[in-house]
Amino acid sequence: MSLRRFLGLDTRSEEYAYGHDPVVGYTSAAKIPDRWVATTCGYCSVGCGMFIGVKNGRAVSVRGNPDHPVNRGMLCPKGLSEHETLSGRNRARHPLLRRGRRFERVTWPEAIRTMAARFRSVRDQYGADAIGVISTGQLVTEEFYTLGKLTQLGLGTRNYDGNTTLCMSTAVAGYKLSFGSDGPPGAYEDLAHADVVFLVGANIADNHPILWQRLEANRSKTLIVADPRVSKTAMLADLHLPLKPRSDLALINGLIRILIESGRVDRDYIASHTTGFNELCASVRDYTPERVSSVTGLSVDVIYRTASLYANARAAFIGWTMGVNHSTKGTETVTAINNLALITGNIGRVGASPFSITGQCNAMGTREAGFASSIPGYRKFEDAADRADIARLWNLPVERIPESRGLAYPDIIEAALEKRIRALWIIATNPVVSFPNHGVLRQALETVEFLVVQDGFHPTPTSEMAHLVLPAAIWGEKEGTYTNSERRVSKVNRAVDPPGEARSDFDIFLELARELGFADELFAGWTSPADAFEEWRRVSAGRLCDYSGMTWDLIERQGGIQWPYEEGASEDAAGETRRLYGDGCFRTPGGKARLLPAEWEPFPEPPTDAFPFVLNTGRTVEHWHTRTKTAHVPILDRLSPNPWLEINPRDARVLRIRPADRVDVVSQRGRVSNLQVRITETIAPGQVFVPFHWAAFNANTLTQSAYDPISREPNFKQCAVRVEKTGTHD
Amino acid sequence: MPVETAATTVLPLMARVSTGDSRFLLASSAPAQAETAGDVPRMPSRRPGAGEQYRFHVDMRKCIGCKCCVVACNEQNGNPAAITWRRVGEIEGGFFPTAHRSYVSMSCNHCLNPTCLSGCPVDAFAQDRDTGIVLHSVDACIGCQYCTWNCSYGVPQFNPERGVVGKCDMCHGRLAQGQAPACVSACPSGAIQIEIVNVDAWRRAVARAAPVSGAPSADTSLATTRLTLPSTLTPDARPTDITAVVPSEPHWSLILMTVLTQLSVGALTTVWLSQLLWQSRHVVAAALSSLAVGLVAFAAATLHLGRPIYAYRAVKMWKRSWLSREVLLFAGFSIVACAYAGMLWRGLPGSAVVGAVTAVLGAAGVTASACIYRVPSRPSWNTPFTLVQFNLTAATLGPLFAAATDVGNPRWLAVVTSSAAAVAIVVLALRFFRLSASPVAELQASARLLATQLRPRLVARGALLAAGAIAVPLFTSNRAALIVALALATAAEITGRYLFFVSAVPKHMTAPYLGAEAA
Repeated sequence: MSLRRFLGLDTRSEEYAYGHDPVVGYTSAAKIPDRWVATTCGYCSVGCGMFIGVKNGRAVSVRGNPDHPVNRGMLCPKGLSEHETLSGRNRARHPLLRRGRRFERVTWPEAIRTMAARFRSVRDQYGADAIGVISTGQLVTEEFYTLGKLTQLGLGTRNYDGNTTLCMSTAVAGYKLSFGSDGPPGAYEDLAHADVVFLVGANIADNHPILWQRLEANRSKTLIVADPRVSKTAMLADLHLPLKPRSDLALINGLIRILIESGRVDRDYIASHTTGFNELCASVRDYTPERVSSVTGLSVDVIYRTASLYANARAAFIGWTMGVNHSTKGTETVTAINNLALITGNIGRVGASPFSITGQCNAMGTREAGFASSIPGYRKFEDAADRADIARLWNLPVERIPESRGLAYPDIIEAALEKRIRALWIIATNPVVSFPNHGVLRQALETVEFLVVQDGFHPTPTSEMAHLVLPAAIWGEKEGTYTNSERRVSKVNRAVDPPGEARSDFDIFLELARELGFADELFAGWTSPADAFEEWRRVSAGRLCDYSGMTWDLIERQGGIQWPYEEGASEDAAGETRRLYGDGCFRTPGGKARLLPAEWEPFPEPPTDAFPFVLNTGRTVEHWHTRTKTAHVPILDRLSPNPWLEINPRDARVLRIRPADRVDVVSQRGRVSNLQVRITETIAPGQVFVPFHWAAFNANTLTQSAYDPISREPNFKQCAVRVEKTGTHD
Repeated sequence: MPVETAATTVLPLMARVSTGDSRFLLASSAPAQAETAGDVPRMPSRRPGAGEQYRFHVDMRKCIGCKCCVVACNEQNGNPAAITWRRVGEIEGGFFPTAHRSYVSMSCNHCLNPTCLSGCPVDAFAQDRDTGIVLHSVDACIGCQYCTWNCSYGVPQFNPERGVVGKCDMCHGRLAQGQAPACVSACPSGAIQIEIVNVDAWRRAVARAAPVSGAPSADTSLATTRLTLPSTLTPDARPTDITAVVPSEPHWSLILMTVLTQLSVGALTTVWLSQLLWQSRHVVAAALSSLAVGLVAFAAATLHLGRPIYAYRAVKMWKRSWLSREVLLFAGFSIVACAYAGMLWRGLPGSAVVGAVTAVLGAAGVTASACIYRVPSRPSWNTPFTLVQFNLTAATLGPLFAAATDVGNPRWLAVVTSSAAAVAIVVLALRFFRLSASPVAELQASARLLATQLRPRLVARGALLAAGAIAVPLFTSNRAALIVALALATAAEITGRYLFFVSAVPKHMTAPYLGAEAA
C-alpha cells in the first residue's frame, strides 16, 4: 500500500472512473473497449451471440448481441464475465515436456517432433490402433473436421472419441435409431409456440438460462418437468413430476400406453411415417398406470393427467438433457421419447419436436463434421455407399475409409488400462474431473506410455499427468464456427492473441500433419480454418447437415444459419427457422421413422444398508464443467466458491447433521471429504445431490463405471453412497 | 480450492417475515396485480416529476436466481469480486416435492429516510433532488464505515482498496442518459425494473403497511424498493442460510479504541474522585498515564478510517451523527484532561473543577460511543446493554488502573472494581439468556455463535475478569500484583469487546450461499 493510499489521499479514482461507450453508454471506463468483436459464446450449446470488447489488445468486457436470433442481447452470468476466462492465471502458455517429475519448457518444433516420434514408434510397435484420441465439444467445427481426418486417415487410428460421449452421445444414438440420422429436429422458436413443453431430466433454468427465458416468453404453455429433484426448473413448472431416480423410461412407456389405449394417437401419421407400431403396442402392454406408479412413485392420477396434457396439445415439445443421457438406459429412453413424439405426430411441426438440448458450445459441430462416431456429414461407417461417397470427395481409395467406428471414450480408457492403447492424446477436456470412477481413469492415464494433453489451461488435474502439454488458443482467440442445439451455425472470431506461445488447435493439427508427412495428402494448400470450412461445405452437400449454401460472411450477417442450408438457397431463407422431418421423410432406408420398444430397468447400483443414499450429480449456474474456466473468473468463483451436499431434513435428522456441517460422501469406489451440507426440501429423502465441478471435491470419485450399451455414455446420475458426518459448522 | 472468506453473517430481509418483527414486515403482493413476464417495461418512459422518484421493482415471480444482475453490476462499476452492490438471496419453504425456493435480488433501496445518510459524520450521502437516488461521494467519504452499520440492508460496502465505502447509485449516470441500469438490462427474465413512485403515497402505504405493493419496509428508513412475491411462497419460507452463521469482522482498532477510551475515562474519573476524597498523592502520574492510554485509543480510532488524514472531517455532522458527537466529546475530553493533568502537575488551584469537567465529558463520550452501536441493523448491539457494558468497562478498569498506579485507597478501589466486574459477569449471563430466548433470528444466531464456536473465548473472558478484576484486587494490595491484575482485566475487556463485534449478526438484505459471500 502506498503512503498516499494509507493516508487516504489516494482513492484510486482513475481506476474506478466512469466513461461513455458509444454502444453501452455510461459505464466503468476500464471496461470501455477500442473495438467490439462479434462472436458466439463459448460455454454451452445455446449459442448466444455476443461481442468481445478489446482494449489495447486485451479483452476487457463483453455484451450480448441484441440482433442475434438466439439470445436477443441477453447473456447468462458466465457469458457476462466470459472475457475473464482469457486472462486466467491458469492459461497454458508454453509447450511443456515431462522430464522425470518436472515439466520443462520446450519449443514448438521440439514438442511436435517429440509427439510425432512417439506416436510413430507406438504405431510401428503396436499398430495404429494403439493410439487413442479423446477430443471435446469445445473446438470450432473446422478444427473437428481437420482433427477427424488427421486421426482416422493420418494417424490411422479408429480409437477416437470425444468428451461428448460423457454428454450427448445418447441423444445421438437415440436419434440415429429412431430417425436414421443424428440431428435435433426442432428449433428454439418451438419453445415459444408449443402449448405443452415437457422437460425430462433438464434443469434449464440453471444450465441454459437463456433458453429458459425463451420458454418463459411463451405465456400460454403448460410446462411439465420430470425431475427427481425440485430443481429450479421444476419449481417453475405447472406440473412437476418428482419421479424416482431413473424411472423416466417407465413413465414415458406408461404415457405411450395410456395414449394408445385411449386412442389418442395420430393413426395417420403412424401409418404413413413410422414402422414398428404393433411391436411398440406389445412392448408397452405391461406399463399399466399402476405399475408405472409404483416404479416412478407418481400417483396414477398424475400419470393420467400428464398423458392427457400431452395428448391434448396442438403442439408438444419434449426437451431433455443429462437426466436422460447420463444413464445405462439412456439411448432407449431417447427412443421412447421419440416414440411418444412420433405416435402423436409431434415432430417436424411448429412447436412440436423431441429435442435434445446439448451441452457444450460445439458438441453439435463434432457430431456433424467430426470423424469419431460417424463419417463427416452423418455418414455411416457400415454403409458402403457412404464410404464410397466420402472417398470420392476426398479423392482417396475407399479402403482408406474405416468400415466401423473404433472404441468409444470409456472403452479407450479401458483399453489404456489393458495396454491396448499405448499413446493417448487428450484435447480440450479434463477427464480426471469429468470422467466417472476417478480411480480407474487415473490408473489408465498412469498406464499409457505417452500422454499428450492439448488444452488452453495448465495446470489442470489432467494436464498435470501429461508427458507433453500443448498450449492451445481458446474461444476469443481463434476463428471458425460453432453449431448450437437448434442446428444453428454461428461464427466465432478472434478478438485477442492467445497467451504466450499458445496456438490454435487448427495450427497444431496442421503442424503435426506436416511433421508426420501427410499434410499434402489430407490438407493440401490449407492455411486457415477457412480452408477446412470450404472443404466441409462440399463434404456436407446433400446430407441432412447440409452447409453447402453457407459462407462465413453470410453466417456472420445472419447471426447464424440453421442447417440444412443447401447451395443455391436464397439469402432470405438463411434467416428462416428450419425444422427437420417436416415432410415426414426420415433418414432410414425406407424413409419411415422406427418405433422401437424400450424396456425399463432399475439403475445399476441400488442403495444398500452400507450405502443407503442415491447420489445424483449435476451443475450450478455459476460454473462450467470442471471449472478450468470459471474458477478463474473472480465474480463467478465468489458467487459459488464451494461445493455442497444437498440432503433432505428427514435424513439429516437421522444422521444428526445440522446445516453447514461437514460430511464425507462415500461410495464403493471412493470418498469425497469435507463437503458442506445444505439441508433442503428440494431433494427427496433417500437421495443426495453433489455438484461435480470441483476437482478438490471430485464427485466422480464416487460414480461408477457403468455405461449405456449403445451410446457408451456413463451412468453419472445414480450410484449408492453413504454420508458420514465429519465436522460441525459451529 | 478457493479459500473461504472470513465472511460477515448476512441474514436477509425475508427473515423478518418469520421473526415477526413488525418493523420489517414484508407485505405480500395484492392479487390485483395481474402483470406477467415480459409485459412490463423495464424503464419508465419519463423522468420523475414533482413529489416522485425512481425505485426498483423486483418481481420474485420471474427471478430464477441466475445472478446476471450481480455480474452485470460489478462489470458496470468496475468493482472487484469481493464487493457486490447487488446480491441475490434464496428463500425456501415447503416440503418435498412441493418445496419452493425463491430468489430475491437486492441492491440499494434508495430509502426515503436513508439511515446511511443520517448517520454519516461527513455528509458523504445525498438524495438526488430529481430522482430520489441516494448518492455517495467518494471525495467526501473518510472511510469510517459507520454507514455499513446504519443501513438495515447492508448496502454500503467498504472497499479496502480505495479506503472508502461505495454503493449502488441505481446507475444514476445511465438513467440520466435514458439508459436502463446494468442490472435491469442484464436480467434475462426482466425481473428487475425501474419505476416511478409517488413519495407521499408510498409513505402512506408503508405507514399503513397495507398490502398494496409488496413493500419491504425496514426500520424508519422507508425503503422504496417494491417486491412482488410469488404466490408459491409458503408460510414457512425462510432464508436458506439462516442457520449457517459465521462470525462478523472484529474491527480490532475499534476494540482497542473503545476499551482504552473507557479505561482512560474511568481512570481519570477515579483520579478526580481520589483527589476529592483522599487528597491522593500520586494523582499526577495516574492522570498522565491514563491520558496517554486515551491518546493511544484515539490513534487506534484514526487508523480505523480508510482515509485517516481526513479524520478531522468527522466532527462535521455533530447535529445528527453520533459518530461526530463521539469524536467531538472525546476531543473535548482529551483537551480538558490535558489541562487537568497539567494543573495537577503544576499544583494549580481549581483543578478539582477541571477534573469534574473531565469526568463529565468522558462519561458523555462513553455514552456517545454506546449510541453509535444502537443501530437497528445489528440487533445484538441495539439495546441498553451496550451502554451498560461500556460503562462497566470504565468502572472496572478505571479504579483498577488507579490502584495499580498507587492512587487513592486501594481497598475502596478494589471494592469498586470487583463490584463492577461482578455486575458485568451477571449482565453477561443475563444477556446470553436473553439472546437465547429471543424470537429474533439474528439474536438467536448471536447466541448460537457464543454458545458454540465462540464459547472458549467467552469462557476465557469471564475467567480473566474474575481473576483480574475480582480475585487479585480483593486479596492483595501489592502493586506488582495489581499491575498484573490490570493486565488480566484489560485482556478480559478486550476479549469481551471482541465478542461484542464478532457475535453481532447483522440484519441484511440477501442471503449468501452457506455464509461464503462476504458482507
